[in-house]
Amino acid sequence: MAVAKSDASLQDKKGERLAWAFPLALLLPATALMLVLYAWPFVSSVYRSFLAKGGELTLANYQKAFELYFRDVVFSLEVAILSTIVAAILSITLSAYVRLSSGRLVKLISLLYRLPIFIPFVVVGQMMRTFLAPHGLLNIFLAQVGVIDLNAPLQLFNMQGLVLSFVWKQAPFMTLIILGGFQMIDDAFVEAARSVGANILQVILRVLVPMNRASISVAIILAFTSTVGTFTLPFMLIGGKIPTTVTVDIAHRVTYFGDWGVANALGVLMYLMVLIMAIYYLRYSVKKGIYEA
Amino acid sequence: MRTRHSVFSLLATVVILSLLAAQCGAPATPQTIVETVVVEKEVVKEVEKVVTLEVEKEVVKEVEKVVTKEVEKIVEVPAEEMELVYMTAGDVNMLALSQNLLAAEFKKIDPSVNLRSIHTGPGEAGSRLIFEKLMADKEAGKETGDVDVAMVHQVFLTWAMAEEGLLLKYAPDLETFQYVTASDAKNALGANVDGYVMPMFHSQTALAYDPAVVTDPPTSYEELVAWVQENPGKFGYNGIKGGMSGVSFTVGWIYWKSGNYEKYAVTGPFDEAEVATWQAGLEEMKDFNEYVTFTAGNVGTLDALNRGEIVMGPVWVDMFYTFMQEGKLNPDMKLIVPEPGMPGQPMYFIIPANAPHPEQAKQFVQYVTSPEVQGEVIIDRYNWYPGIDGKFVADAAPPEAFDRLYQDISPETLSSFGLSFPLADYFTAMLEAYERWVIGGGS
Repeated sequence: MAVAKSDASLQDKKGERLAWAFPLALLLPATALMLVLYAWPFVSSVYRSFLAKGGELTLANYQKAFELYFRDVVFSLEVAILSTIVAAILSITLSAYVRLSSGRLVKLISLLYRLPIFIPFVVVGQMMRTFLAPHGLLNIFLAQVGVIDLNAPLQLFNMQGLVLSFVWKQAPFMTLIILGGFQMIDDAFVEAARSVGANILQVILRVLVPMNRASISVAIILAFTSTVGTFTLPFMLIGGKIPTTVTVDIAHRVTYFGDWGVANALGVLMYLMVLIMAIYYLRYSVKKGIYEA
Repeated sequence: MRTRHSVFSLLATVVILSLLAAQCGAPATPQTIVETVVVEKEVVKEVEKVVTLEVEKEVVKEVEKVVTKEVEKIVEVPAEEMELVYMTAGDVNMLALSQNLLAAEFKKIDPSVNLRSIHTGPGEAGSRLIFEKLMADKEAGKETGDVDVAMVHQVFLTWAMAEEGLLLKYAPDLETFQYVTASDAKNALGANVDGYVMPMFHSQTALAYDPAVVTDPPTSYEELVAWVQENPGKFGYNGIKGGMSGVSFTVGWIYWKSGNYEKYAVTGPFDEAEVATWQAGLEEMKDFNEYVTFTAGNVGTLDALNRGEIVMGPVWVDMFYTFMQEGKLNPDMKLIVPEPGMPGQPMYFIIPANAPHPEQAKQFVQYVTSPEVQGEVIIDRYNWYPGIDGKFVADAAPPEAFDRLYQDISPETLSSFGLSFPLADYFTAMLEAYERWVIGGGS
C-alpha cells in the first residue's frame, strides 16, 4: 500500500512539472517571434548607437545627435503630442456623436470616416503637398471666400501643416477604436445619466469616457507611436525645413553619411519617447482595463 | 593367310604413315602454327591499331561535325534566350528607360540579347548595392560573375577603383569612345577612371526663374544674395534634407565662398582644416535663409515655381524640361547657372572584370552611347545632357530638342559653370557643416 501511494504522489509531481512547462511551450512560438523580430533588432540598434565607425564603444554618436539634432527631437515630440491631443479630442467627439445619434447622416459619417485609415502616409503626403501649399487648394479656397489674401497666404509647410495632416490620418483610426469601446456600453448607463439630468457633454465626459479609458488609451498610444515613427509624411511636407523631424534626420544620416551610429542614437531617443507612453500604458491601462473589467 | 597378310600390310602402312606423319609434323607444325598465330596476332594488333586510329580519327571527325553542328545549334537557339544582366542605380526613370526602351531597341540590333534590368534604387545607396554585389562575387572567387554591365553614380568609382581588378577597362574598345570628351570621363571625384567608364548622360543643376517677374536674373551667387534681400520669400529651395537640388545649391554656395573648387572637387586631397574656413560663409547662408521659402523637395521647388509661390529656385535641368513637356510647368520659365557655377553629375556605364558576356555588354554600351541614341533618347526624351560630346549629337538629335536643351545654358556656359560634386570626404563634411552652422539645431 505504502509503495503504491508513493508512486501516485510521484506521478502527481511529474504532472506538476509538466503543468509548469506546458504554458511556456504554448508561449514559445509567439515569444520567439517577438524576440527575433522586435527584441533582437531593438537590442542591436541600442548597442550600435554606442559604436563608433571603427567598432569601438563611444558616446560620440549621442554627443553628435544632441549637437546637431536636439531641436529636431523636441520638434518631433511637439508634433506628436500636439497631433495626438487634437486627434484624440476630435475622435472622442466623433465617436460620441455616432454613438449617441441615429439616422442616415450618422450612417454615412460612420462609413466615410474610415476612408483615411486605408490611405497610406505617402499618399497623404502627396495630397497635403498640393492641398496645403501657399498657392494650394486650401489657400485658393480661403482667398476665394475672402478670408485671406493670396499674396500673403497661410504658410502650412511647417508644424501646423504637419499636425493637420497627422490629425487627418490618425483621428479616423482612433475613432475606430474608441467608437468600438463606446458601443460596448449599455444604453442603460446613458439613459440613467440622462434621466438624472445630465446633458450631452456630461454624458460624454462622465459616462462614456471614464468607462472607456482602456480603449481611449490604446488609441492614443497607437496614434502617438506611429506619429513619432512616420518618415514619409514629414519628409514630403517639411523635409528640407528647419527644424524637421527626427525620422528625416535618421534618413539623412544614413543616405548621405552612411552613419548608422548617429542614426541609431537618434532611433534610441525615439524609443525613449515611445517608451514613456508604453510604460504608462502598461502600468495604468492594462491593469485597470483588463483586470478590473 | 592371304587376308592376314593384307591386314598386316594395311596395319603396317597405317603405322608407317602415322609415324611419317608424326615425324614430319609433330616437331615442326605446332611451333610454326604458334609462331604464325603470334605474328598474326601482332599484325592484327598493329592493323587494329592503325585501323582504330583511322577509325578514331574518322569518328572524331564525325563527332566533331556533329558536335559542331550541335554547338552551332546550341549557340543559335539559346542565344535567343541569352540574358544580358544590367544593374542600374538611380531614380525609377532609369529602370523605365532600360526596361521599356533600351531593351526593345537593342533587341532590334542584336536579336539574341534579352536585356534584363535590375534596379537598385536612387542615390548613393543604389550604387552602393551594385558595388557590394560585385565585391561579393569577387570575394567568393567567382571567375564568372552575374553582372554584365551596370549604371552607377560617380561615387561608385571612388570605391571600385580602390579595388584591384574589379572593373574591365573596356571603353577604348568601343567605337563611340572617340566621342567622349568630358573631363569626368577621366576623373570621377578624384578617382582616375580613364577607360573604365562611358558616361550615358550628364545631369546639371541650375536656377530656374520666371522671366515675367525676374526680368534681370542674377548671374552670380553674389547677385542672387542681393536679389533675395530685395525680394524676400520669392526664392525657394529644399534645404539639404529634401533632395539633391538643394544639396547642389549649397555645394555651389561653398564653392563660391571658399573659391576652392579645384581642391574640393578635382585634385583633393581631403584636408580637415578646410572645414573650419567655411564657417563664415555658411553663417551668411543662415542669414540668406531668412529671406528664402523652403520647398518640399526637388519636385516641390518646381511645383512652387509653377504655382507662382516662388519665382526662382535651384532645379535639375532634366526634371525642369520634362515637367515642361508634360505640362506641369509654365513653359515660359528659364534657366541660368550663376557664377561660379553649380554642380552636376554624370551616370556611368561600367563592365565588371568578371562579366559573363563582356562582348555583348560592350555592344550594348556602344549602342547607348551612339550619337543616334544620345540624340533621340537621352536628349529628346529625357532632357539630359548627352554623355558624349554634344557636337557629335547635334546632327542626330531632333533640332528642337537640341535647341531646347542648350537655349538657356549654352555649351560654353556648361563647360565653365557646370561643376562636379566635391570629393566624397569634402561632400559629407560640407553637409555636416551646413547642419552645424546653417541649421544649428543643437541643444
